[in-house]
Amino acid sequence: MCVENLQRELKILDPRRVHVLEARLDEVDVEIEGRVYCGVRPRRPFPYSHPEIIMFYKGEEELGMLRDYRRLDPRSRELLERVLRIIYFMPRVKKILGVRSAKGKYEWRVVTDKGPVTFYTWSRCIRLLRDGRLLIRDIDGRVYMVENPEKLDSKSRLYLSMMM
Amino acid sequence: MGGDEDDNGIKLYPPSGELPPPLKELLEEGEEVVAVARSDLVGDEYGEKHVVLTNKRLLVLNEGLEYEVPLSKITMASLRSYINTCVMALDTDEGPKSVVVFTKARLKAFESLVSLINNLVVGRIPYSLLKRQLLKKVKAEAEKRSSRAVLIRLLGLLKPIAPLLAATIIVAVAMRLVNLIPPYLMKVLVDEVLTTRAHVEKLAQIALGLLAVNLVNTALRTLNGYLSTKLNVAVANRLRYKVFSKLQELSLSHYDRFTSGSLFSRVIDDVNRIQWFMTGSFNMMFINAAMIAFIGVTLVTLNPWLTAIALLPIPIAILGSAIYRRLAARYYHRLWRRWSRIVSIVSDAINAAILVKSFGKEPTFREKFSESLEEYERAQMDVFKFEQEIWPAVGLAFTISNILVWWMGGLQVLNGAMSLGSLMAFTSYMWMFYTPVFSLLENVKSLQRAAVAANRIFEVLDLEPEVEERPRARDLELRGEVECENLWFTYDGVHYALKGVNLRIRAGERIGLVGPSGSGKTTLVKLLLHLYEPQVGAIKYDGVDVREIKSSSLKKQVAIVLQNPILLDTTIAENIMLGREDASPEEVIAAAKAARAHSFIMRLPEAYDTEVGSRGSRLSGGERARVALAAALLKNPKILILDEPTAALDALTEEEVTEELERLTKGRTTIIIAHRLSTLRFVDRVVVMDEGRIVEEGAHEELLKRGGLYKKLWEAQLKGLTRMSAATVSGGYVR
Repeated sequence: MCVENLQRELKILDPRRVHVLEARLDEVDVEIEGRVYCGVRPRRPFPYSHPEIIMFYKGEEELGMLRDYRRLDPRSRELLERVLRIIYFMPRVKKILGVRSAKGKYEWRVVTDKGPVTFYTWSRCIRLLRDGRLLIRDIDGRVYMVENPEKLDSKSRLYLSMMM
Repeated sequence: MGGDEDDNGIKLYPPSGELPPPLKELLEEGEEVVAVARSDLVGDEYGEKHVVLTNKRLLVLNEGLEYEVPLSKITMASLRSYINTCVMALDTDEGPKSVVVFTKARLKAFESLVSLINNLVVGRIPYSLLKRQLLKKVKAEAEKRSSRAVLIRLLGLLKPIAPLLAATIIVAVAMRLVNLIPPYLMKVLVDEVLTTRAHVEKLAQIALGLLAVNLVNTALRTLNGYLSTKLNVAVANRLRYKVFSKLQELSLSHYDRFTSGSLFSRVIDDVNRIQWFMTGSFNMMFINAAMIAFIGVTLVTLNPWLTAIALLPIPIAILGSAIYRRLAARYYHRLWRRWSRIVSIVSDAINAAILVKSFGKEPTFREKFSESLEEYERAQMDVFKFEQEIWPAVGLAFTISNILVWWMGGLQVLNGAMSLGSLMAFTSYMWMFYTPVFSLLENVKSLQRAAVAANRIFEVLDLEPEVEERPRARDLELRGEVECENLWFTYDGVHYALKGVNLRIRAGERIGLVGPSGSGKTTLVKLLLHLYEPQVGAIKYDGVDVREIKSSSLKKQVAIVLQNPILLDTTIAENIMLGREDASPEEVIAAAKAARAHSFIMRLPEAYDTEVGSRGSRLSGGERARVALAAALLKNPKILILDEPTAALDALTEEEVTEELERLTKGRTTIIIAHRLSTLRFVDRVVVMDEGRIVEEGAHEELLKRGGLYKKLWEAQLKGLTRMSAATVSGGYVR
């Protein structure tokens, strides 16, 4: 059961032998070790802690794993990132305009990099990641990221500390 | 030495003066009394018998000698438990013998006695070693009790924050003393400025004085608030940290002894009680005493006669308060019971919602709830009525005293024996005097409550870990050989979960452990992990006693996956990394793949970064089991223990995991506990346990041929499967 043996079974891909040919919404066409696969879904096994790791799936079949997709050639990387931005769509909170309690929920009015948004959360809604980033989960399960809480303005920080 | 009245009915090494009368004459040369336990029944009547364990024999005394048996003839002692009574029995060379009956009040005492006997006759622990340990226990108990001035101990525990405590008290006393100045200034204002107009220039000084007093008071109040808050947090944090650290050190057996609720309540509720006491009542005791002294002296200085009148209602109030306390307990207890009932109904209705709804019991619950609310209302009104009977009378005493002070004082003012300002100051101080007097009485009550809470906390702090690593314990690189030598183990001192288990597992051997529920399989693996200490016998890894191996070394090399694994409230990745903190993401994925967990994890939107919730509640039982298995595999252990690894899995996943286990466990010492015998098809040897004993051992085929318990278990499972497939066929798949 040596884990080292198992690692070999992970099908770790050489980024030089992976080329993304086309990107469509949440799928890519990709050439892996000389063979072309269409309609492949890239997935991040560790979307927050190691976003650079990517696994490719064709239906249920696992095609392989890239330790760091950023080592792909620039065109492939650009195409892959286009799909990843859709699959892992996550607004970054830039400013918190207000948080108020309303009927057992909390109403947040925030400005994100994708524009202003109002959402509702339950009281326990903030998750602190190891690297200090924060995730705010709303009652619909949507997640908003605060990349650097310390760099927010003082009012936004006050709202955050109230809810943590 | 000795005389330790332990567990309400047993004395270890009692001094000769405390031995039951006929015993002294019965003792032989060199015979020592190890323990005397007292029963509380003689037959079915209350009465007392003494059961005496010496280093040579066991005697039962009922006025005279009723029964005796040499230890050499006893093979085992045990207890049988009934609704109210228990019987101590012996297995002897001459057959079984019921020795004594007693009520459950004496259960602990006789549990200790049975353990002592078994240690000598079953465990064959040398008497000299047993004696040494027991005398150590007797001495430690005696010392603990003599030094149990609980509050002094509590203060000792809080020593590091003593300067903060002292500062809080000093500032609080100063604040209250400053509060005493305004009435004095009012006296001067009335007597020397407003009524005589002799010192008009003093008006501004008095006004400035009042302003200064107010400013100082505000400053002190702020400082007091700051110090109190700091003290409040410091007391609670220090106590909670102490108790929590102790909990981490405790053996699992301690967790079995206290319910989780009780331990939780010690960390939270009892600490809260002490926190309230230390930051509220303890401070106030000093403040109140200081206030009583200062105001008392001021009152006497102003007018000793009026002081005597002012003191009159205090004994009445103390008496009223004592009556109130005695009776209030009853009323408030009833109120509390009614409230508990309401909470219990709500809790049942929520926790057992599926049960309530499936049986259509909603109307019954609504009715019960409504009744409880009415009962609560009645209890609350009774409390109100009761309070109305006591406090108005006490209030009347104060009113009369107050009127008397005004009347007598008024006469003195009119006679010119006292100034108007002095009378006004006197009445202000008088009301200021009552508050600390009653507050001090309250403080004494809080002190008693805090002492109870402190005692409960010390109960935990005084526990000693039962699983102790020997000082010379060392790191050991395991090869994988495991040996159990004559293991005897009991959780409660009454029922033995393991009875003389002998088992030898070769390095790299794969063992299947089977047997009916309660046969001792899980207990055996807990002992293998050194989570418990066997009462008798030893566990050896590669020939080294487990107590000689450092716990950290053992835990690195032995992995266990429990039947219903509980996960930590963090991400899946971090739960898997419990197996090895420095594992790379690839290794985490590899371990999850081996445990057949990867597919379900990748279906979750946040994959390995998904938080599993408290105890892993956001995952299903099967998913939790697979994550726990991944953690164990990541550890790459020399010895792998799997307790029902496939119990929570569906048939397809079970098949997959079993195949994977076969591959993963090759060449690795593995112990698999399984009810589903099909999981064990690849093991080298099957060990069958029943009622705490190993009853069969061998390969699958061999055990089937033998026709014992294993065959019965196998046939029962086969029958179940046949019935299921017959039902499937007749259910229409063939038609």
